[in-house]
Amino acid sequence: MSPPSDAEVVGRSLAEPEAFGLIYDRHATTLLRFLGRRAGAGVAEGLVGELFRIAFERRKAFDGSRASALPWLYGIGANLLLKHRRTEARRLRASARIAASLEVPDRRAGAAALDARLLFPRVADAIEALPDDERETLLLFAWEDLPYQSIAEALELPIGTVRSRLSRARARLRELLEPKGKDRVRSR
Amino acid sequence: MKPVDLAKKLRRDAAFEAAALDRGKAELMAAIRQEGERRIRPTIVPQVPYANIGAALSFLERAFGFRELLSSRLEGANGVIHHANVEFGDGVIGIGTQGAHGAISPQSAGVASQYISVAVADVDAHYQRALAAGARIADEPHDESAGVRAYEALDLEGHRWRFLQGAREMPRYERRGRP
Repeated sequence: MSPPSDAEVVGRSLAEPEAFGLIYDRHATTLLRFLGRRAGAGVAEGLVGELFRIAFERRKAFDGSRASALPWLYGIGANLLLKHRRTEARRLRASARIAASLEVPDRRAGAAALDARLLFPRVADAIEALPDDERETLLLFAWEDLPYQSIAEALELPIGTVRSRLSRARARLRELLEPKGKDRVRSR
Repeated sequence: MKPVDLAKKLRRDAAFEAAALDRGKAELMAAIRQEGERRIRPTIVPQVPYANIGAALSFLERAFGFRELLSSRLEGANGVIHHANVEFGDGVIGIGTQGAHGAISPQSAGVASQYISVAVADVDAHYQRALAAGARIADEPHDESAGVRAYEALDLEGHRWRFLQGAREMPRYERRGRP
């Protein structure tokens, strides 16, 4: 017999709350890494228990037609991260410095926009300056490698909205790479 | 370089303490146990009979905000619900099958022999909710003596429910003690 799907486990946990522990065992590592990439180890370690506690308390609202609980858990995590925006911003800027130091200069690309020392802090600023919903969509796609359908489930959006948010976020970042975007990205 | 690839290069994994996952699990399991401790068994549970329990449960939730205590549902092999409990505030009401224990739904009896009184925080908001869900109003919201405001509604099978706000607290002979 195959192991029960997340939906079956969540369903069972309505009458037998302890069953929800299995959802933690299945997905906590993934969610801890997600929170860690966004807000660092300290914040992530403090949030992972809270995330699953909230999921447990809302388990009645879980859509049983979805086999995996993972997108739903990502959505709860994304909401929790909104309270830690400053930490997230700091971490992103630090990541930009590290990314810049690792980048090998690419002479063929020309001097225009690809000086890594300048480019990555600007990318970080641009991601930071995205509206919350576009930033979340972009990072679920680029960092978590979630397919559109899962992002739609996580953020409770129609899939078309996910596509348009992602394309807006891409367009804003693309401006960085083009000459007209060279002068000013929104700075904060 | 593509914009998404640029963003990807800013992805950086964090290094966690080995015990981080265990602490998270402990937090979750504590919440699960706490829910268990909230389990209730009031001394008195009125039992209200229905011909169609499934329809009644869905109506009572939509119209009145009663929530089923799912773990206590009794279901037959064919998916027919024999008995369920709903909670509202600190009260619990049993939803039973008509005919069992000699209890008859007003739908069959043609008359209700009792009504149940339920305290709510905002009786007008509750009235609007009941109205929107198609409850038959037996008595429109009105002010009574001593700051009480109330309305009465009939459910799908004609049970009468009285909702009121501002009800006085009752002094008790016994505090907390159970027989």
